[in-house]
Amino acid sequence: MKKMIHSKRLGEGYLRVEHSSGLTMLLCPMKGFSTAYAMFGTKYGSVDTTFKTDADDDYVTVPEGIAHFLEHKLFESEDGDAFARYAATGASANAFTSFDRTAYLFGCTENFKESMEILLDFVTHPYFTQQTVEKEQGIIGQEIRMYDDVADWRVMFGLLGSLYHNHPVRIDIAGTVESIAQIDADLLYRCYNTFYNLRNMVLVVAGNFDPDVVIKLADKILKPAPPMNISRKSPPEPESVAKTRTEVSLPISMPVFQLGFKGTPGDAARNLKSQVENELLLEIIAGESSHLYRRLYDQGLINTTFSFEVMAGRDYVASLYEGESRDPDAVAAAIREEVSRLRREGIDPEDFARCKRAAYGRYIGMFAKVEAIAGLMMLAEFAGVDMYEFPEWVADVTLEDLALRLEQDFDPERSALSVVTPSK
Amino acid sequence: MSHRLERIQLAEGVYFSAVTDPKFKHNRISVNFITPLTAEEAANNAIVPLLLRRGCKSCPDYTTLERRLCQLYGAGLDADVLHFGKYQMLSVSIQCVDDRFALEGEKITHDCAALLADIAFDPCITNGSFDEEATARERQFILDSIAAEINEKRSYALLRCKQEMCAGEAAALRKYGSAETAAAITGESAAAAYRRLADHANIEIMFVGAGDPQAALVIFKELFGGMHRSSFGYELCERKPAPEQVREHVEEMDLAQSKLVLGLRVDGDESDYEELRPFRVMTALYGGTPFSRLFNHVREKLSLCYYCAARYDGATGLMMVDCGIESENKQKAQDEILAQLEVMKKGEFTDEELESTRLALRGGAKATTDSLGGIESWYLVQIMMNSNISPEQNAENMSNITREQVIEAANRVHLDTVFFLKAKGGDAQ
Repeated sequence: MKKMIHSKRLGEGYLRVEHSSGLTMLLCPMKGFSTAYAMFGTKYGSVDTTFKTDADDDYVTVPEGIAHFLEHKLFESEDGDAFARYAATGASANAFTSFDRTAYLFGCTENFKESMEILLDFVTHPYFTQQTVEKEQGIIGQEIRMYDDVADWRVMFGLLGSLYHNHPVRIDIAGTVESIAQIDADLLYRCYNTFYNLRNMVLVVAGNFDPDVVIKLADKILKPAPPMNISRKSPPEPESVAKTRTEVSLPISMPVFQLGFKGTPGDAARNLKSQVENELLLEIIAGESSHLYRRLYDQGLINTTFSFEVMAGRDYVASLYEGESRDPDAVAAAIREEVSRLRREGIDPEDFARCKRAAYGRYIGMFAKVEAIAGLMMLAEFAGVDMYEFPEWVADVTLEDLALRLEQDFDPERSALSVVTPSK
Repeated sequence: MSHRLERIQLAEGVYFSAVTDPKFKHNRISVNFITPLTAEEAANNAIVPLLLRRGCKSCPDYTTLERRLCQLYGAGLDADVLHFGKYQMLSVSIQCVDDRFALEGEKITHDCAALLADIAFDPCITNGSFDEEATARERQFILDSIAAEINEKRSYALLRCKQEMCAGEAAALRKYGSAETAAAITGESAAAAYRRLADHANIEIMFVGAGDPQAALVIFKELFGGMHRSSFGYELCERKPAPEQVREHVEEMDLAQSKLVLGLRVDGDESDYEELRPFRVMTALYGGTPFSRLFNHVREKLSLCYYCAARYDGATGLMMVDCGIESENKQKAQDEILAQLEVMKKGEFTDEELESTRLALRGGAKATTDSLGGIESWYLVQIMMNSNISPEQNAENMSNITREQVIEAANRVHLDTVFFLKAKGGDAQ
């Protein structure tokens, strides 16, 4: 089944195909671009640690980091690895695992068909042996060690570990050297057979390509996937934060911090919309055009590394500020105080109008690159919406909508500060 | 379409260059002051774009300026300091959505160009000085940025290797200058640096985007009409030979993972972009792709690391190889990295490897044309290398590099310095 999805505002569209194999494909050819960019993704990430399918009797809990481990291992087949196959087509290939998805991708300017064939083939043909699993434990062990020394990474997991008591988002995506040591070929197959069912996956392509080529290749390569329902289990998560402050030391020059507010999650679509609205709130509270930003900057408490972000997924929403500061606690106190003031006194309509206009420009601008469009299509599809809703959400957002988010997602009582301080 | 650069001289040493393509949704305009990088002036030059970014005569208050940018549909105004070969590049740039997305028919591109022109050429300098308080804040930022070199261990190790290897050369200088010179910056010294840049730096104004560059050109043309100033020609760094005896440096730090960096020199006197191309292919085949020699052997076969890569800087003639490893694997990794270099020198790589590398580089070159930033940096580098090749032509030329050229290039690479950032103890807490 094929359907065109259009955006009147952008004057653009893409094709949504529900393929007979069970796979959903989103295809967005873009005139004038040299690159075609494809991502084959599954709704499966580091937070999916306890799950079962209809066919399973009971839930299984797998070692932390296994989704990421599986991503690495899928590149291998009996006759060599996928990078070697891509080498012959000139495509630039990669993959990533996040909290709630895993994606395999390539970008190319020629030989699109051959590269797409490799992508569809290797992701649907797992090959794991005990020997190749052991080899990967060395490589991923070094990846984990590398991140252990990265202050931005440590400060983020410090924050997530403070905001969440039990939710697996608090655990490092790659797991630990100890947890990945428990992974074996059988466990990898169990995860693969559950989450790499085509009905749990999506293929997105943007840029310089012909949709018919993709559809024909899918017809040729993909076998119909059996119907399947996946149940995921997360431990119950209280509303409160686990702790309000956490600190570690690393050899760095100045403290780095993240101040996060634990939000009230809804379903995946609601959380995505909350992400858009909360970004606008973060901008109003302490964005560069705010009085608070100016005050903190003039006092030397923040510098140009100060920024903000919303992390939202299937069942979590967290809004955060981050940066370097000589006194992270003073920055956190000032932001919490400003949030309390806004919750009491309401948002200034002028600030709202100004930040909304800026956000509108930025959201239009997000549709400018092939990689960004592919990413947006996948993000939106996994949340059950279409990507053109993002600029519409911004265009339609009201002061009342933001007041509600401020109430639900910005409670200073449910916030935490994570700091990495210089050692020595 | 071919992305050729339209280049117009506005005054001595001042050029306005434009690349347009209707597929884009933005316009990006930048003003780039290019000047020789020197230990004495680096810090004072580096603070200039940071101070320019804080306001201009027509918009002296930072918060008012930020609100103006929101009005311009969230236009991004950025300040940047870059180090390229012998030169320091000080930039201010603005990026905005194209006029066709304006909700009320505003001329966004024109307004952004006018704002950028004010920011770059009408700064808040009173009585020969920037505001002292503003200078103090940005000076602190530069000092913090210099101190922050240690934060990213991979780039820190690379920097340290370069410093040990190239002491006294431009390649070893910091783009922000030293902490000592940065600490001495005053409002007056920064204003004097601005004056020098305005009068003597080469100024490259770039316009890349979907809109009509005329909107920006008229503004800058008027600014520079009849102006007298000086300019200079671009040169590559002088090439030094590697020493007879390889230099070794070890530094210890409380880390989970050790970093090994090999600094190598390319002997030769290439003077233009074309002559450097075989080195790019050779470096990519050696350690620039996930099917390269280093990736396949040091990572995949020996399972020693997560990354092991080689990169080559045409402007300085330096090749750097680096990886993150357990301390006890240092010699093993170093031996394998050098063994693979021997493979390159003897030409013991397959035709498939060569063809795959050429293909990958060709793809990368073509992909440059899909982003504003990609096109802008491509042409800035072309200008500084006295060349004017389009990304499309660059892609074509990659295909012509032969096996013999790659082998010859590899044989001109010599190990100079080994730098080891050694993890002391286990997980740092």
